[in-house]
Amino acid sequence: MKKLIIFSLSILAISCTGDFGEVVDFKEIENPNLSEASVVGQPNSASIWLSGLERQLAIVFNETLVLSELGSDNYVNTQTFFNQFMDELEIKITDPDMRDTQRQIQRLRELAVFGLDKVGPGDPNYDAATEAEFNYFEGLSYLFSAMYFSALPAEPTGVPITANQHYQNAIASFDTAIALNPQPEYHLAKARAHYYLGNKNQAVAAATNALTLSANFDRFVLFDAANGPSNTFESALYQRATFDDLQPLPTLDFLDPKYSFLNTSQDAPVHYLKAEEAHLILAEANLADNNIEAAKDNLIKLLDLIGTREVRTIDDSIEQRTEVVEGSRPDSTIVVVNGREGLVLNRQSGPIDIPSVSGTSLTANDVAAMQDDDAGLVLLYRTRQEVFIAEGLRFVDMGVKLVIDENEILLNENINEGDSGTIAVIPPFIASVTGDLDAIVYVPGSEVATTVIDLNEILVANKSSNFVVPFE
Amino acid sequence: MKNYWMMLVLLCCSITAALAQEKNVSGTVTDQNGLPLPGVSITIVGTNTGTQTDFDGNYSIMAAMGQTLRFSYIGQKTVEQAVGASSTINVQMEEDAQALEEVIVTGQGSGIARRKLSTTVDVLDAEEIDKLPANQIDQLLQSTTPSAQIRLSSGQPGTAAIIRTRGPISAASSATPVVIIDGVRVDNLNSNPQLGIGTGGANVSALADIPVESIEKIEYIKGGAATTLYGADAANGVIQIITKKGKEGRSSAYFETNVGVIKGTRDFLKYERTAEALFEPGLSQEFKVGLNGGNEKFTYNFAGNLYTDDSFNDINEQIRRSFSFGLTAKVTDRLQYQGSLSFVNFQSNLDYNANTSLSRFSNLEGSARGDTAEFTDAEWEDELAYYQNVGDLVDITSTTNRVTASNKFIYDINDNLQVNATIGIDNRNTVQEELLNNELQIAFGLIAPGITDQGSLSRVLRSAFTLTTDINLTHKADLDNFSFVSILGGQFFRTSDRQNRLDGSGGVDGTRSLNNFSEQAFSDFVLENANYGLYFLENIGIYDVAFLEFGGRLDRNTASGSNTDPLLLPKIGLTYNLSDHDFYRDAGISNILSTVKLRANYGEATNFAQPFEQDRTFAQNPFLGGPSFTFDNPGNDELVSERVKTTEFGLELGFFSNRLFLSGTRYMGITEDALFTPQSAPSTGQLNQIQNIGEVENKGYEFELRATPIQTNKHTLSVNLSYNTNENLVTDSGGAPPFVVGGFAVLGSVVEEGQSLGYLRGTVAILQEDGTYSFEPNTALGDTFAPNFGSVGLNYTWGDFNFFATADYQFGGQITDLSFLLRHNRGTDDTGIPEELIGTTSPFNYTNFFVFDNDFLKVRNIGASYNFGDIAKPLFSNIRLGLTATNPFNWTAGNFDPETTGAGIGTQNGFASGGFAYGTESAPRTYVASLRFEF
Repeated sequence: MKKLIIFSLSILAISCTGDFGEVVDFKEIENPNLSEASVVGQPNSASIWLSGLERQLAIVFNETLVLSELGSDNYVNTQTFFNQFMDELEIKITDPDMRDTQRQIQRLRELAVFGLDKVGPGDPNYDAATEAEFNYFEGLSYLFSAMYFSALPAEPTGVPITANQHYQNAIASFDTAIALNPQPEYHLAKARAHYYLGNKNQAVAAATNALTLSANFDRFVLFDAANGPSNTFESALYQRATFDDLQPLPTLDFLDPKYSFLNTSQDAPVHYLKAEEAHLILAEANLADNNIEAAKDNLIKLLDLIGTREVRTIDDSIEQRTEVVEGSRPDSTIVVVNGREGLVLNRQSGPIDIPSVSGTSLTANDVAAMQDDDAGLVLLYRTRQEVFIAEGLRFVDMGVKLVIDENEILLNENINEGDSGTIAVIPPFIASVTGDLDAIVYVPGSEVATTVIDLNEILVANKSSNFVVPFE
Repeated sequence: MKNYWMMLVLLCCSITAALAQEKNVSGTVTDQNGLPLPGVSITIVGTNTGTQTDFDGNYSIMAAMGQTLRFSYIGQKTVEQAVGASSTINVQMEEDAQALEEVIVTGQGSGIARRKLSTTVDVLDAEEIDKLPANQIDQLLQSTTPSAQIRLSSGQPGTAAIIRTRGPISAASSATPVVIIDGVRVDNLNSNPQLGIGTGGANVSALADIPVESIEKIEYIKGGAATTLYGADAANGVIQIITKKGKEGRSSAYFETNVGVIKGTRDFLKYERTAEALFEPGLSQEFKVGLNGGNEKFTYNFAGNLYTDDSFNDINEQIRRSFSFGLTAKVTDRLQYQGSLSFVNFQSNLDYNANTSLSRFSNLEGSARGDTAEFTDAEWEDELAYYQNVGDLVDITSTTNRVTASNKFIYDINDNLQVNATIGIDNRNTVQEELLNNELQIAFGLIAPGITDQGSLSRVLRSAFTLTTDINLTHKADLDNFSFVSILGGQFFRTSDRQNRLDGSGGVDGTRSLNNFSEQAFSDFVLENANYGLYFLENIGIYDVAFLEFGGRLDRNTASGSNTDPLLLPKIGLTYNLSDHDFYRDAGISNILSTVKLRANYGEATNFAQPFEQDRTFAQNPFLGGPSFTFDNPGNDELVSERVKTTEFGLELGFFSNRLFLSGTRYMGITEDALFTPQSAPSTGQLNQIQNIGEVENKGYEFELRATPIQTNKHTLSVNLSYNTNENLVTDSGGAPPFVVGGFAVLGSVVEEGQSLGYLRGTVAILQEDGTYSFEPNTALGDTFAPNFGSVGLNYTWGDFNFFATADYQFGGQITDLSFLLRHNRGTDDTGIPEELIGTTSPFNYTNFFVFDNDFLKVRNIGASYNFGDIAKPLFSNIRLGLTATNPFNWTAGNFDPETTGAGIGTQNGFASGGFAYGTESAPRTYVASLRFEF
């Protein structure tokens, strides 16, 4: 009996211990997401953070490319849910694409800064190469701020600083990166910043340094087709659904679509800092210095390089020109555009070859015939347009700048509507042809197409303007 | 042994005696007006024997002299009559004023008579529910509740309705009320889940599979003081479903079969050819069975239902299988147990809708592939073949299994003190699949013909589980002139929502297994929340005419920031039934103005933010096969529930014994600490963070009229009419810039100080004196919530024949006809657009030409039924034939359907303004015939 009592008491005692509490405690909730402590101060966190920066850069291009390519003469939006205003260069503070573009560029900066300040120093395996990359990405955020905006804050709700200052900040960051771990793309990024600042000598030096490190470097951003971000501009150009219908200027038809289906895990990359740009900067500097032979040499090297780049053979038969009214735009090899042959492909008669890194209609003969005159500069700008199609540079070459978003204006006490960064910059010679940027004259079925304007000629005609052709 | 034989003889004698004395007792039961009362339960006291009166109030039962018959009927005083020499016992029953008092389950506790309540509750009873052909809770409530706005956002199966009552109170949640079945909260997700398959709009709602058979009644409680005790997220109101648990008395059973025809409505189509391409009349079939019965100790109810239809178009189908049972057991004299359990299986498929270029309906109506009216017959034949081919291949399915169980224990400590304890669960599992195979992608023109390895399959698994427990103590005390009802209780519930999404791509056709796809990706999403609250309520009756009620809830939930305290939500109410004074009843005026009730109350209720939004988090996204970090939620440790403070005043007047009844309520609701998620400054590079920064005001009137102009022995005609107003204003946005909560940023549904919540805003073109247009961005284009709305109903009974009709209406709001905008954008429709604008600028610069009034009057149901009575006796006690038509007539201000906001609710449980009509079919017309056999 005594044993029984002891046994019963011990059962009772065990049942009163806290262990059973969990069975009836339904209040405990655990957030399954990562806290800061799981990121900062952990081994290898810096390299994972760096992947995050690469991913963020992909997101940045998803914003900038649509705006800048539609805003330029490269592409026209015939029927899509992509931006409805940029074709007409209606650049507004209320346009959500303005907001998203600057948010993503500035998120790139914030991520890079957090990497430099917190993640890197907290990671025992942090190395110079990673630190250099963090600086490079910080520099890219300033570079894009400068390329696309006339003024933008450089810190959360900070004072907007000018494009020129952003270029300077970018150069400082790239210099830090170069000091840590020199890479050709760091030099080229620096060269681009100097190029747009009009610092010819520094641009030439940086471009030369880049080519010295590698003659055929190509820094690209990858897209994750399975987990995202996928390449938005690829869906705009290549994937065909009812609303995806961006159409290139017929003079650029043979270069479209630069991005096409790769595989189910990766989308086509954007080659955003490639050796070609260094050659083009050098050529333009030489033209500015009236050194035509050197410029020709640069362009021949460019052609050689382009000759080594990948050309993809793709089935583009689902693409019509256009979808709304099939065949209303040039869609056959017989069409001569602005008097030039071979610019338009027939997509319905089998696979086509499209350069996926760089392509151009420039030939060695063109280069040989090139003179040190405006026509030579026009040719160079035409080549820039072709080589950089779908990479967002044409828009910058046009001297157009986007505006600070209305939310930033309302939330940032340093900005008021009407301040310089809140007003779109459109050079007067661009403003006067806005409606014609994408305009073509073409009778469906005929063999001749003409673009209403030749923007390269307009750019060169206004080369002395501060907006464009920085070396002149 | 001798004794044994003696006993046997005695027993035989007594049985013989009993048999000898048993006889057939019959009679008629009438009410106090002499009208026959069908369905009166008659039992022999002390036995299990019982019967019911038929449709003419007649009954017959075998009973012995000396036994007592008990006649009981809801709302009538129970009558007991001893069986005497006569074989006829006619009974005239008397109304039981006390029992007639409708008892409302007020939050928690054991319920309080409606006359004691200072708040209004809309009630739908079993009889009304039985008449309606719908088997979705939102469709049942539509046009049958006087003050709820229920807008069906698509005609596709299982899709969500936008439900609201007293205007938009929150920018952070859909206005969907909390749904409670027998005291147990159930999943009410009225939007696509976070990771759900995107059809472009029109998503399957959890409301589609809430069990609706065996409903005793539905109480629609509209927020404010009425929902204070529910706490947590009850600010949007509560739909309380009380299921049948069986009735004491004769067992009954029924079998019902319904057959219907479903036709797509062409009322709103731009192109006749849209109907030609997509519409195909469908057939609906339904079988229902039910059992009901019990004795003093135990009652039970069972219902089973099988339903299928193949919809109004060429691809949609739905199947629903469900059963439920409920029981009540008197365990001891003091302890009662009530249990209910239901199971629903719901399978449906969807077409693509609205915001996707794959949507057939929006492509046709938006003329994405050209103006079909202009197509030649040959062109149309090709186009028709295209759409039919695509339709055959579209493959988006959803299957849900839901089990809901409730257990309630009622223990009477003594006559005045009762303990109620409830524990129950709701478990809803949904599997959605979208198969976009190569063939379909080729048909859509997404990939080139000949490609065979780019098929994709997505599967989303969502498991929603809710546990509810509640225990409360109710004390009732009656002093000479005062009565007291005191309730003290605690409630706890926990919800968990686990979603997993699996995406396979790079597949060949012919498989539904993700194993067969070369690229596999997955993602998960978890929401968990625990909420616990203590509540108390005191209802003091003063001379049984006035009632003062006060109480509150102390509420805490895990979705609050770490730096916050539990919320105390008070309520207070006063009710004065002037007409219940003896002097009034004795006065002549009571014959004319029979009811005068005044009521006033104040109460607070809350909505909490989505769980985990209070925490600062980072994300590690898979990127190119490796991990990648980024910032995630910025975090807000001050995050608390938003609090809606509602003040109500009401007056109820009943004339001529309430044959004409008028109710008017003035309400004012102020949402403080409103949860807004404005845009963060882009320069921060951070995601937007939900914050308690807003204030929203809703004011309005609710009027209801119920009249019974004809009430004779044979005929009864009753009508009801309601009219509600709502004035909504965002009074404070906490300094946040206006932010878009729906639509596009350039033509959006926006939250902005000084405007109504979710109002339409866009760039408008204004004609100048010189004939040119100026473009004004961010211009108000109207309120998306119709500020005037109501319902109309009619019910006529002539003996065994019943006819009813319901309708609802709204006016004063605005809506964008997005299909028109798309047509215009594609150059196929310039109706009403000034020439000067066409082609000169983006249509998004003259959005005012695409915004129209969202006024409508829609007849939702017209039905008739006839009870044949016992013509097939003894097989059936009654046979009922019913015919109903749903959505037979529509009148709208525009040429489109302002209800079909196909994009529905964008994010999980997100705000829905309903400001964009677009891209999905309207609720179809159905004609259903039903035959019910009662045993």
